[in-house]
Amino acid sequence: MKSHDNRAWFLLIPAAAVMTFVGLLPLLTVLNFSFHDIFTLDSLHWIGTEWYESIITSTRFHASLGRSLLFSTLVLGIQLPLGIAIALLLVRSGRVGLFMLLLVAVPLVVPWNMIPIMWLSLVNPDTGLAGRAMVTLGITFDYKFTALHTWALLLVMDTWHWLGLVVILAYAGLSGIPRAYYQAAAIDGASRWALFRHIELPRISSALFIVILLRFVDSFMIYTEAFAINAGGPNNATTFLSLDLGEAIKGFSYGSAAALAMVYFLIVLSVVRIFVAVTDHRKRQQPEVGA
Amino acid sequence: MILLRAAALVALAMFILLPLAQTILLSFTATLPHEGVKVGGISLINYRNIFANPALVDALMNSLIYVLLNVALCLIAGLPAAYAFARYRFVGDRHFLFLMLAFRLTPPVVLSLPIFILFAQFGLINSPVGIALVHCLFNLPIAIWILESFIRAVPREFDETAFLDGHSLPSFFLRHMIPAIAPGIGVAAFFCFIFSWVEVVFARILTVTAGKPITMAINALFTFQTDIGLVMAMTVFSLLPGLAMIWFVRNHIARGFVIRT
Repeated sequence: MKSHDNRAWFLLIPAAAVMTFVGLLPLLTVLNFSFHDIFTLDSLHWIGTEWYESIITSTRFHASLGRSLLFSTLVLGIQLPLGIAIALLLVRSGRVGLFMLLLVAVPLVVPWNMIPIMWLSLVNPDTGLAGRAMVTLGITFDYKFTALHTWALLLVMDTWHWLGLVVILAYAGLSGIPRAYYQAAAIDGASRWALFRHIELPRISSALFIVILLRFVDSFMIYTEAFAINAGGPNNATTFLSLDLGEAIKGFSYGSAAALAMVYFLIVLSVVRIFVAVTDHRKRQQPEVGA
Repeated sequence: MILLRAAALVALAMFILLPLAQTILLSFTATLPHEGVKVGGISLINYRNIFANPALVDALMNSLIYVLLNVALCLIAGLPAAYAFARYRFVGDRHFLFLMLAFRLTPPVVLSLPIFILFAQFGLINSPVGIALVHCLFNLPIAIWILESFIRAVPREFDETAFLDGHSLPSFFLRHMIPAIAPGIGVAAFFCFIFSWVEVVFARILTVTAGKPITMAINALFTFQTDIGLVMAMTVFSLLPGLAMIWFVRNHIARGFVIRT
């Protein structure tokens, strides 16, 4: 059992100092900016919650929020089942499965701005492997001007980038299941679905909560990839929340950018809050899980 | 059934490998006219051009410097903190964890503006120290969580015996704890390395005129007439550390995505 000792805080001093400097201070700065009208950093004018009011009532914000929510929903809807299915496949494939696990991890270590570059050259109709294949097959793929195609490209690219995360965490949970569980289930004549529902799913559920949290937050604030593919186009069809924020920062409207940033931070904070509450609840129900 | 499974595995491998294959293919193709090479021909010209371009070599060095600095910072600040969380309960421990979780998940674009302004006042723009510091925002929590799980696996008696032998906390930590959790330190270091290596939003805004990392140097290659072969050769280079890391931590890959509450 851990002992109670407040002197442990001395051990936290370096970590706390770093986090204060790179996290807490910037956060307070944003909070402060968000209540001001800023022309230059030397002339701040207190305007209270005006920025927030204009954000919450702006149709542009609502549209971007809707698009971001839709994107995150699609991302989770595709990557979660697909990743679990692949993990189930790999965990039964022995050495090949282990090798494939390393392979699906590769996209996770590609620098983020390289990913759109790779995919754009892949679908390039003149030089790309996929692009030329589609030309040969007579498929017109126009990610620049057809919104549906831009969305498809973003979703496929994001799935390529992050599928490994779902697979790795699900695989880690699955590979810890003792063989005896499966033997017992076989004796009981359990169906494949029952096996998944009652033996496999409980073992990977805490990993899946983490996946949902990480994937939701990252896809909700997708920036680098979405901007590089089509800069929010065509006709703002892929303008997500973070692209709006990037535009506000580039436009030097610091006050409104800060208020937007605070709104996003609060969204992230509420999601984290819910996650912690759910984890605590699960810990109380089954103390052996989630340690 | 076995056929179906094999087909699924092949399809998955194809999906993952296709963009990589494209990248490697282009990196060995001359995509712009160079002396003595035919456009479209297979050649090593792109790789030779990397080392002929001082900006690209500098960028590789810049990236390595801030990434290594970040790893060092995360370990130095993370080790004592991880020990505190693994062995003690204290006032505010859960709040500190919650704050770390929140910062781990905060998208860089949300904090990019104030961090730029703040770091400008401290002269940390264009400097590897600035990027190394700001990457602690997400890497320090990860380092602390990974190290904590390794320290917790060491029984408490290990600490107590050493204290009875007359070791002070720092000397116990340096002589006994660090060797005992060396694999964990390696795993934490690798993940910090790679997450810092792939991050681009902070690395971009904090390098205005100098100190550009490899990722930004690649972006700068896009001009009116882009040598896409050169871009792809640099991309291949930017992939190498990641591939090495996957191999070294192959038994601990899942740990890079731990979340503690």
